[in-house]
Amino acid sequence: MRKYSDKKIFVLAAAAFVLIMNLGIGSAMAYFTTYATAKGGAKIRLGFTVTTPEEKVVDWMKHISITNTGDYDCYVRVKLFAGAEYQEQLTYTDKSGKWSPGADGYYYYSDIVPAGGSTEELLAGVENIKNAMESTDSQRDFNVIVVQECTRVIYDEQGRPGADWNKISDSNTSTYTGEEGGGRS
Amino acid sequence: MSGKKTSSHIKPVLLLASAALLLVFSTVGSARAALVYYSENYAAEVTVSSIGVTLTENGEKVGFRDYTHKNDQWNETEGTLLSNLLAEGETLEPGREYPEKLAVANSGTIDTYVRVIIKKSWVDQEGKDTTLSPELIDLHFTGNGWVIDENASTRERTVLYYTKSIAPGETTADITDTLRIDPAITGKIKETVTEKDGYQTVTTAYEYDGYSLYLEAEADAVQTHSAQEAIKSAWGVDVIISPDKSLSLR
Repeated sequence: MRKYSDKKIFVLAAAAFVLIMNLGIGSAMAYFTTYATAKGGAKIRLGFTVTTPEEKVVDWMKHISITNTGDYDCYVRVKLFAGAEYQEQLTYTDKSGKWSPGADGYYYYSDIVPAGGSTEELLAGVENIKNAMESTDSQRDFNVIVVQECTRVIYDEQGRPGADWNKISDSNTSTYTGEEGGGRS
Repeated sequence: MSGKKTSSHIKPVLLLASAALLLVFSTVGSARAALVYYSENYAAEVTVSSIGVTLTENGEKVGFRDYTHKNDQWNETEGTLLSNLLAEGETLEPGREYPEKLAVANSGTIDTYVRVIIKKSWVDQEGKDTTLSPELIDLHFTGNGWVIDENASTRERTVLYYTKSIAPGETTADITDTLRIDPAITGKIKETVTEKDGYQTVTTAYEYDGYSLYLEAEADAVQTHSAQEAIKSAWGVDVIISPDKSLSLR
């Protein structure tokens, strides 16, 4: 009889304990929480920035203009090479007032050249070179090379356009992995 | 013998009675806790207390999840970010700042603490590409009332906590104010070398061309009552709630 009572008490006490523990769990789960989510993207198209020079020589004068054949607006600059002996004999004429010489020997076009657009002409005179050659007995062929470069227009934080002629292409790659979910997902 | 029998009956009765009392007191304790937990407005607002949170972008609601008392349902929607970033015909220009003001509003009826998890990545039609740097997506954090959990943040993910509680109807200070693509992106190129008939051709292309910058934002809200325990339980984070109710990370 006594043994039976003890068992009953033990079962009741255990039931009470479980009930109390359950009450505690119920309380812990009762916090108010919620969440809201949103996601979205925007595509970036970098395309290509390509310019093509156009040159024609009329009366010992090179007429140089640059056409933007790429996808994006850009800035352009040109430099002429006539060899060390005749480099100083080159003369430049700019009727548009948009070409200006830089300290590095390039002529910079001040306006943005829109995609599909062209610059005004820069005139490079080679007559002095011809005259210098004619004044000597050693007449030779000479060649004046036009080098043109372009750089895509970049914008600052306020949306103001600018050019970065010192930009260096970077072909390095790096991957973030681990808990951030490496590789494609 | 009779005395012994009486004594053996009393003992179990006493033990049973004490178990019953323990059970009753435990229930009373719980009920008291519940009353404290529901605040002094319990009696008046017990039927309308509900939690809700809304994520806003440039002042517009983009995602929300509010508890409604109708059939225990949640009124919710997952929103779209950056849908109004560009005007018709406009292209995304590297270096230029675009307005991107993210904030969180309390769309429930109880005060809440909130945190936000923002992820940025590059995606194409095949999904996220982790060879491209999320750091080139320059989302500017204002720091105005928001503190970054550096331990939980990575190159891709930023976790921020708002240091004040927000009342129903209130909106936090802006989490971010601008979005910008680092102009260094135009210097990132991909070189492909092909050989044909003894000639080597090197093709150079922009590495990020054709990709989409991708943002994901999640706003989490939790009750202000028993906030430390609630935040630990819901977010697994230890925080300190000061007497002025301001929140700081432990």
